[in-house]
Amino acid sequence: MLIFSVFKTLTDQRVTVELKNDLSITGVLKSVDQFLNIRLDSIKVLDEARHPHMMAVKNCFIRGSVVRYVQLPAEHVDTQLLEDATRREAANQSKR
Amino acid sequence: MDPSSTGIQEPFDLIRLSLSERVFVKLRGDRELSGVLHAYDGHMNLILSDVEETVMIVDAVDGTLEGQGTVAKRKMEMLFVRGDGVILVSPPSRM
Amino acid sequence: MSSLQGYIDRRVLLVLQDGRAIVGVLAGFDQKSNIVVSDCRERVYSLDEGVDEIPLGLYLVKGDMIALIGEIDDAIDQAVDPSTIRAEPITPIRY
Repeated sequence: MLIFSVFKTLTDQRVTVELKNDLSITGVLKSVDQFLNIRLDSIKVLDEARHPHMMAVKNCFIRGSVVRYVQLPAEHVDTQLLEDATRREAANQSKR
Repeated sequence: MDPSSTGIQEPFDLIRLSLSERVFVKLRGDRELSGVLHAYDGHMNLILSDVEETVMIVDAVDGTLEGQGTVAKRKMEMLFVRGDGVILVSPPSRM
Repeated sequence: MSSLQGYIDRRVLLVLQDGRAIVGVLAGFDQKSNIVVSDCRERVYSLDEGVDEIPLGLYLVKGDMIALIGEIDDAIDQAVDPSTIRAEPITPIRY
């Protein structure tokens, strides 16, 4: 739930999603759901010469399960807030 | 170290105590990361900053052991790592 | 669901876990991202010859098999001659 919330705060920011098939796609984060499925707009595939498959694709839905990394815009991530929220969630988890 | 004094009772406590510290992460696909840990969840999804990734590229030429292969390194400012690829998280070595 | 609603009745590119690329019209989906795609055609990429399109018909694709769904901009898609494209097939997903 925590990570889901983080992604929601990054809506409309540019991110780079790296897939487990080594495809890297940069785009504007339009939405995310609880499975961390991602919708990207204005996408660009890195190394387009090698990967012309998505030439005509301008926006896409990426299944959360195929994501390896997402590179986030550091200036839009409040690391102190993240750590506090993580500690809070960890405390809730252990109470259960 | 007495477990009660460090507050470490379960594996995730070790990760919790590594928040805002540099950790080493081993991933599937011969990948390793070093970065400052800012967030995690029960799936071991992670958010790290100031990340250096090392990918071991093994050239599987006729299965010999000496072909050590090459390593590719790159740096990333802020990175979300999906938990299903995580093999281990190692806290910073405390001197 | 990071909704596929906007893609209904649109021409989409489907990238499957095994690396296959399929184009078709998205007819429906559910919360597990199982999808129904009509007028499917597989686009077969190779380095030796242009892109081959194989008609497949109506498919129900299980959500687990899907890597990515992209909306096709028909103007761009029709402007390229598939016989001139040389590319390796998309790498399969490796966990």
